[in-house]
Amino acid sequence: MAIDEETSKRFLREMLRIREFEDEIKTRFQEGEIPGFVHLDYGHEGTHVGMSQAMRDDDWLAVGGARLVGQYVAKGVPLGEIMAELYGKSGGSNKGYGGQMHVSDVGRKLYGHAATIGSGQNPAVGLAFAEEMKGTDNVAVTTIGDGGTSRGSFHTALVFASYWDLPVVFVIENNQWAISTPSSALSPDNLSDYGIPHKIPNESIDGSNVETVYETVSEAIERARNGEGPSVIESRVARLGPHFEGDKQTYRDETEFEEERELKDPLKNYRKQLLDDGVVTEQDIDEMIEAIRAEVQEAIEFARESPEPEPETAYENVYRTPLYGQGE
Amino acid sequence: MTREITYIEAIAEALGEELERDDDVVLFGEDVEEFGGNFGETAGLHEKYGGDRVRNTPLSEIGIAGMALGAAVGGIRPVAELQFADFAATAGDEVFNQIPKQPYVSGGRLSAPLTIFAPSGAGIGAGAQHSQSVHSWIGNVPGWVVVTATTPYDAKGLLKSSIRDDNPVFFLPHKMLSEMKGEVPEEEYTLPLGESVVEQEGEDVTVVATQVMFHRAKEAAADLDLDVELINPRTFAPLDTDTIAESVEKTGHLVVVDETVERYGTQGYIANEIVENNFFSLDGPPKTIGVKDVPIPVSPALEQEVLPSVKRIRAGIKSVF
Repeated sequence: MAIDEETSKRFLREMLRIREFEDEIKTRFQEGEIPGFVHLDYGHEGTHVGMSQAMRDDDWLAVGGARLVGQYVAKGVPLGEIMAELYGKSGGSNKGYGGQMHVSDVGRKLYGHAATIGSGQNPAVGLAFAEEMKGTDNVAVTTIGDGGTSRGSFHTALVFASYWDLPVVFVIENNQWAISTPSSALSPDNLSDYGIPHKIPNESIDGSNVETVYETVSEAIERARNGEGPSVIESRVARLGPHFEGDKQTYRDETEFEEERELKDPLKNYRKQLLDDGVVTEQDIDEMIEAIRAEVQEAIEFARESPEPEPETAYENVYRTPLYGQGE
Repeated sequence: MTREITYIEAIAEALGEELERDDDVVLFGEDVEEFGGNFGETAGLHEKYGGDRVRNTPLSEIGIAGMALGAAVGGIRPVAELQFADFAATAGDEVFNQIPKQPYVSGGRLSAPLTIFAPSGAGIGAGAQHSQSVHSWIGNVPGWVVVTATTPYDAKGLLKSSIRDDNPVFFLPHKMLSEMKGEVPEEEYTLPLGESVVEQEGEDVTVVATQVMFHRAKEAAADLDLDVELINPRTFAPLDTDTIAESVEKTGHLVVVDETVERYGTQGYIANEIVENNFFSLDGPPKTIGVKDVPIPVSPALEQEVLPSVKRIRAGIKSVF
């Protein structure tokens, strides 16, 4: 699959958007502006962008794993709405009800995350089922981390997707760590091997290479659109940051970690590749970054200025009322 | 025009009529095709509506419930069958964490108009893992509409409304009532969710009960020299307490009988609502009657021991005077 220069630039720009946005989130979290936990995507930018660029706008993305913000960005949610949600403000995508784990945007076909990791794959199969029942050729792409593949719910989703031959693409973002538990201790050679007993096409790829991810996910989506059923892809990446901000990572080998940062940074590598190939110049990149920083600053301003939710709105959205048969 | 049909026939009619009415309604679960469901509730539906809309699933409640959630968010109206209500536990994360919470955490952006159909209750010697009444488990998680069915009339009208409602609904028919006959209109009808109904008027005491316990309470009341007002809450969550409160205002006495266990059961919640908000309507403390705090045993002799009997209900009603 030849990737033209415009597409390459778009890949780079989207990866830069995730990186710049998250650098700012990190700073805002450190300065106490963002409540709760923050899990950042360092090392996952290539897999997020490659995957989402392979999708059409009307394909569902059911996000999973713990690296989520980059997936929201890649699915096209405005940065201001994401940032305001991280702040717990009323201008957030979910009006402050969801936070960083639950950004959902049905209009953009982004399904909200199951924060009990690994429980989002069966709903993704259900989304694919709904599209099939409605007679569209839209597909559902769902992500999960290496840790989540140990949940029975993940395996059940493979059973159901295969049983009904549904248009769903399972992307396992294996960053080698379920917090402190290494995926190397799991039995399969590749986590995509979990597709084998179900006879689901499966492949393990270098997820730090955005073009590889784009090509592989595009092929899987094409199969799904053509009625050829589900696929399982292991996208191998390096986790170039802590599990959450504040995790001291005492369980990681310092030298290996340094080496990964040197070799497996998807953004650094792609930037170098495009510069070497003459697709972009340093000046092009500086201009991209300048524009992105302006967008990020706007997002921060939007989040800061957005009002706190009115406390009484905590009681809204539990039920859609009136219940059926009750008066208007 | 009415005729007498069984509770399970009423359920099968409701499913069939909703499949007929709305192309977005899809029914799936274990053995819902030719097998026709464990109690005959899906008999003939696969033949009539085809394999796209009435589908067998592999044996996993996680898949059934989880897929129903996604399908509902994706724009169809799934009716997902669990063979026994106890299996809400085998889809625990989906039932307790995912389905009732996704609409809320999305700030109302997602809706999940799905129905879980799950036969509940004891009395057929099915043992500790196939006999529980789970409406206190489910009702404990805000986001679920929890509906039971006491008569064939209720079963049909409430199931049709559950399928049409835009919330996730946990619909709990009682397996002991499957063969019970009752009057059901020939004409199309639905019954409102979230509304309690006064089934029998009386002046002396308010008795709240559903499913098998409703019928036992009615029998107990018939033998008493008391004018008993019988209320069927129909929907446990959200609960219509106004109808119960109005009744207690009139009678001054409250007895709640339910098949959930007494420890943290729905009886206690209903009684508490009235004690807390309508204390001065009461002439004495309310009485709650439920399943004794043990797992449901298999032997019919043991099983009937732990379920509220007509005798126990009768004694309970007398005890509030």
